[in-house]
Amino acid sequence: MADRKPLYLMTPALVWLSLFMVIPCLLILALAFFRRGIYGGIEYDFTFENIALVFDPLYAGIFIKSAIIAGQAALIASVVGYAAAYAIAAMPKSRQPLLLFLAILPFWSNYLVRTYAWIVLLNREGLIVSVARALGYNQELPSLLYTETAVIVGLVYNYLPFVILACYAPLARMNAEITEASRDLGAGGWTTFRRITLPMTVPGIATGFVFVFVLSIGNFVTPALLGGGQFQMIGNLVYAQFLTANDWPFGAALSMALIAIMMGLLTLQTFATERASGGRVRDADG
Amino acid sequence: MTSALLSIRNVEKHFNKYHAVDGISLDIRENEFFALLGPSGSGKTTLLRMLAGFETPTVGTILLDGKDVSRIPPNHRPINLMFQSYALFPHMTVAQNIAYGLEMEKLPRAEIKSRVEEMMEMVQLPHLAGRKPDQLSGGQRQRVALARSLAKRPRVLLLDEPLGALDKKLRGEMQLELKRIQHQFGITFIVVTHDQEEALVMADRIAILRDGKLLQHGTPLEIYEYPQTRFAADFIGVMNFFPARLVDGALRAADGSAFRATVPDTIGAGEEVLAAVRPERLHLGAGETENRLTGTVRAMAYHGLDLQVHLDTPLSPQPVMLRLTADAAEGHALSIGDTITAGWSARDTRVFAG
Ligand SMILES: Nc1ncnc2c1ncn2[C@@H]1O[C@H](COP(=O)(O)OP(=O)(O)O)[C@@H](O)[C@H]1O
Ligand SMILES: [Mg+2]
Repeated sequence: MADRKPLYLMTPALVWLSLFMVIPCLLILALAFFRRGIYGGIEYDFTFENIALVFDPLYAGIFIKSAIIAGQAALIASVVGYAAAYAIAAMPKSRQPLLLFLAILPFWSNYLVRTYAWIVLLNREGLIVSVARALGYNQELPSLLYTETAVIVGLVYNYLPFVILACYAPLARMNAEITEASRDLGAGGWTTFRRITLPMTVPGIATGFVFVFVLSIGNFVTPALLGGGQFQMIGNLVYAQFLTANDWPFGAALSMALIAIMMGLLTLQTFATERASGGRVRDADG
Repeated sequence: MTSALLSIRNVEKHFNKYHAVDGISLDIRENEFFALLGPSGSGKTTLLRMLAGFETPTVGTILLDGKDVSRIPPNHRPINLMFQSYALFPHMTVAQNIAYGLEMEKLPRAEIKSRVEEMMEMVQLPHLAGRKPDQLSGGQRQRVALARSLAKRPRVLLLDEPLGALDKKLRGEMQLELKRIQHQFGITFIVVTHDQEEALVMADRIAILRDGKLLQHGTPLEIYEYPQTRFAADFIGVMNFFPARLVDGALRAADGSAFRATVPDTIGAGEEVLAAVRPERLHLGAGETENRLTGTVRAMAYHGLDLQVHLDTPLSPQPVMLRLTADAAEGHALSIGDTITAGWSARDTRVFAG
């Protein structure tokens, strides 16, 4: 007999996930195929109308816009986060844990508080404007708060620690002799980074990028607070369907579309990570 | 020695207060197979890293073809290092690994391709060109690392414990193969090892390092037959030591018997010394040799080629070891507890300060 793996240890997690994740998701999925009642509520006759409505140019546009904002946030966070992780990994080993701790410190404070802090900074009477005034800049400043840029800044700021952690892991794990071997074979510092370090740490960047993208595209707090209702992201749209428009079936259809996008990306990322780590690739004929 | 290719002049490397390499001077010739031999922590890797350019000497200079290269970065030195961990690029195939150094030289594509093929032939791996390093065995990885460093045709190839990760049989084969490849390419090899047998088999010359200092250097024969320090004598092969004292120009052993030997001038009358002889220089029976000892057989170990006999003697607290050839062993049926006499000549006796 093959030795038995302690699969039963997974039971609590599986029960938890099925009760509070899988079942609600299935309920929402079901909801998406019913009709909205006249006074809200749900009428149980089967329809594809809600699904079709998701692809209506109006709503599809919001999807695309959300994806663009999330993509920008993920891109900026990846670049900034990778640079920070690289710097931390280059420090003496004894100092790295402290630096890492400081980098993820904001993460331990409340999400709302952190986002409100940005309102204080970006406000018309906020810190940035005050500093600019104090420095003698008297012209009218462009509005900082309630812009797309403010939303992106907020998202980047909130999810940066994720990227730093995701990129730090593979960077710290790299054997110093590998980059030295590259130097030894005649490569300069930049070439070594481009051809050795970067490709070897791509899985970390991909993980960070996908995380920020997935968390950003469905986010509704940051667009509401920093975007100030100037525009909607999918998160806000879903929120509105459930809580103000009382159109649960359409909200459910939107949620399902969002979940589908996220799952697709996470699958892609898992696959890419496995490929890049090399272990699973068989017979890459050269 | 004006024909030195690589000249190490009074080099020291300090890490804070610690002297990892402590005043080493060595000349390494063109086409030489040179071994740096020393126990773990003796500074071998540090010395090699200075030659490759990953560390700068705190004191001293390194000359290549008479030019000071101490401060030239590794990517601008015609010296390559094969790392102890092999340091293959895990995201590249075998062929891409080997091509990397050639791409850095901006060689034409066709030439890179033919040189990569040539290198893979040389290490007998052409069928593995498309594999990634983690799909290779330890021995195969070692060959790829060798091919990758040799592809650039460096003036000097540095190898840090190149065979350390291989099993014993494979190591024996690779020792001969490294020699063949070195000969074929006519490139100077400097090999770091802590395995004295490996150094003796492979090297044209050996330097013995201890605590960052150079103890002795010379051909394998010089090192083995004429060790200059007790440490070197003990580190290379097996040596029997007998505590003795210099009295009236002769050596007196612990039990009062006398040894004949050439005593170095540095040793004065009355000094405590160690007389030493290799196990294979001891012969059964007193014969015509100048020195002799008597002891009881304590243990015997049959090694196929030879029979190793351990004797308890009054000469030293450690058992004395004899190595008898199969012929000699057949002539004398020995058993444990027998009392036997063995002799050796003054010529084969070494004397070290005690
Ligand atoms: N970067 C370093 N910092 C501090 N000490 C070092 C460093 N590199 C080597 N050492 C010390 O120098 C000594 C010699 O090391 P090494 O050259 O690796 O010896 P070997 O290769 O002969 O085993 C060791 O005691 C080691 O701890
Ligand atoms: Mg070493």
